[in-house]
Amino acid sequence: MITYLLRKILYTLLVLVGVVVVTFFIRPPGDPARVLLGQRADSASVAVMREQLGLDKPLHIQVAKYMINLTKGDLGRSIATNRSVSETIIERLPATALLACTSIVIATILGILLGVIAAWRPNSWIDSVTMSTSLLGISLPAFVVGLLFVLLFGVVLEWFPNSGYVDRGIEYLILPMVTLAIRPMAIIARVTRSSMLDVLGQDYIRTARAKGLSSRTVFIKHALRNALNPVVTTVSAWFAGLLAGTYFIEFIFNWPGIGLAAFNAIEKLDYPMIQGTVLFTAIVFVIVNTAADLVYGFIDPKVRLS
Amino acid sequence: MKQETGESLSRVAWKRLRKNRGAVIGMVVLSVMVLMAITAPWITPFDPTTQILEYSVKPAGFRGSVIYKRNLADESVPSIIAVSSIEERGDTVFYKDPSGEPYRIARSSLLGRAPMEYYSEPLFILGTDRFGRDLFTRLVYGMRVSLSVGLISESIALAIGIFLGALAGYFRGSVDDSIMWLVNVVWSFPTILLVVAFSVILGKGYWQTFVAIGISSWVDIARIVRGQFFSIREQEYVEATRALGYGTMRTIFRHMLPNAAGPIIVLSTAGFATAIIAEASLSFIGLGVQPPTPSWGQMIKDGYGYIALGTNWGMTLFPSMAMAIGVLVLNLFGDGLRDALDPKTSQR
Repeated sequence: MITYLLRKILYTLLVLVGVVVVTFFIRPPGDPARVLLGQRADSASVAVMREQLGLDKPLHIQVAKYMINLTKGDLGRSIATNRSVSETIIERLPATALLACTSIVIATILGILLGVIAAWRPNSWIDSVTMSTSLLGISLPAFVVGLLFVLLFGVVLEWFPNSGYVDRGIEYLILPMVTLAIRPMAIIARVTRSSMLDVLGQDYIRTARAKGLSSRTVFIKHALRNALNPVVTTVSAWFAGLLAGTYFIEFIFNWPGIGLAAFNAIEKLDYPMIQGTVLFTAIVFVIVNTAADLVYGFIDPKVRLS
Repeated sequence: MKQETGESLSRVAWKRLRKNRGAVIGMVVLSVMVLMAITAPWITPFDPTTQILEYSVKPAGFRGSVIYKRNLADESVPSIIAVSSIEERGDTVFYKDPSGEPYRIARSSLLGRAPMEYYSEPLFILGTDRFGRDLFTRLVYGMRVSLSVGLISESIALAIGIFLGALAGYFRGSVDDSIMWLVNVVWSFPTILLVVAFSVILGKGYWQTFVAIGISSWVDIARIVRGQFFSIREQEYVEATRALGYGTMRTIFRHMLPNAAGPIIVLSTAGFATAIIAEASLSFIGLGVQPPTPSWGQMIKDGYGYIALGTNWGMTLFPSMAMAIGVLVLNLFGDGLRDALDPKTSQR
């Protein structure tokens, strides 16, 4: 178990190095100093700016420096606001975390519920309604769902406020949360259904039925438990998509999280800020997935060996 | 005596596909969309970039009244002037603009020879956008962008994914380890963020968008191909190619790859849909295909400003629906394809 743990963590660190290198190269084409100062800037001030940004050094030194700063938690300064990128991210983390966590919880609960209902009577009308609804959910990108929700529930029906942060009341959380939850929910429902159907075809389910257990006991205790494994993978994998979704959702609902900061940074090509937010999202994703892997290794000895 | 004839795998799959209602609907709608995209100049009443500022943000079903003026810069695209009334006197046409201001123009600089050929009352089926451009026209032209992004980006992703996945699955060992490291690094970024990142690196524009989406979405393909190759390389016929002295590349691409085709095809229809979403998301942020080239994401972003006002929601709704339908039919088709190619799932 200890070797498995160490091997896993070492490999994760190796992947993170690659992630940081990729992130380092996220910058607009051309000379960033010139981009910042505008085309009419004289070459002397461009040279000063280059030095300030560390662009005068060879590339591998720049990458190394970026990594060293990173270990100290320094992601550089925003070009647009001149504020520390890591400070901005930490300041905005609670808003994004609230949105992302409530969404994934809702998506998981409802997704599993829908999937189980669909698998309860496969090919019945309940199944087809659930599955076609979830297909629709998969087909709509989060930002379109968000806009349509604003239009329907915010403008036409006036049930919920159009935009704003939750500090003004819990009703501000509902629309962005549901918007963000729809796609993962649809996918979790589909995975749950197919995994349930897989498990229900196994011999031990037949054995349980033959023993005379009620079909509800078989369904919940024997089938659902064993069917949840792929579901957990889906949930942890979809967490990344959800985090990326916050970029758009926070913009649409004017939710002051990391995504909104990133969105504004992209519009201004404020690359240190873009780098910081993208890197942050990737790191969270890697950590969540490694944690999920470790939990598997803990539960299922087979995983440790492979 | 009746001769026994076998059926090829693709024939069986095609038969199953035709029985799947969702897949058939998907195919039909998709064909219609492709046809519309190809014939866009003939089925749309306007040029997608022609602005009629007097007719900005008009609702669906609006009927205008305009005269066409010869465009000296480009004869094929006439300039359009919105009018409220016209009167032809000799060689001169007197007209009033929608605010009632009187103007005059020489008959010869207008389109057509016969009287009143330059005048028309066009219908804006879906209304107009901020610059008075016809929404329906832009929607159809936007479909061109979306479909070509799907096609080209997915081809790029397939090329990279198949190549790396095949190498990893065939050679295993350290080749596999390094390719899987790269796969894991790329996989650590949510696809849409990676697309955004590459767009920042490559800059805005048509081709940059295709490339950014393509090089961001090969990971799933590489994984599937690798997994398939792991089992395929244990088959006897692969051993036979070695015994016959075939080169590695010939074995990989001529003999092993066709046997891994099923999952790759299924995955690429899903990738096609994802590429369309990615392009729309990029345009929504302001990266991606740049104005005045119409794209669905841009149109949605344009309409976004009007939603809060509660007016002209068609500007958001129509492109959103177009995209939803496009992605939905691709998914329906993909699902049907998966069931048809994989007998295990279709029996359920």
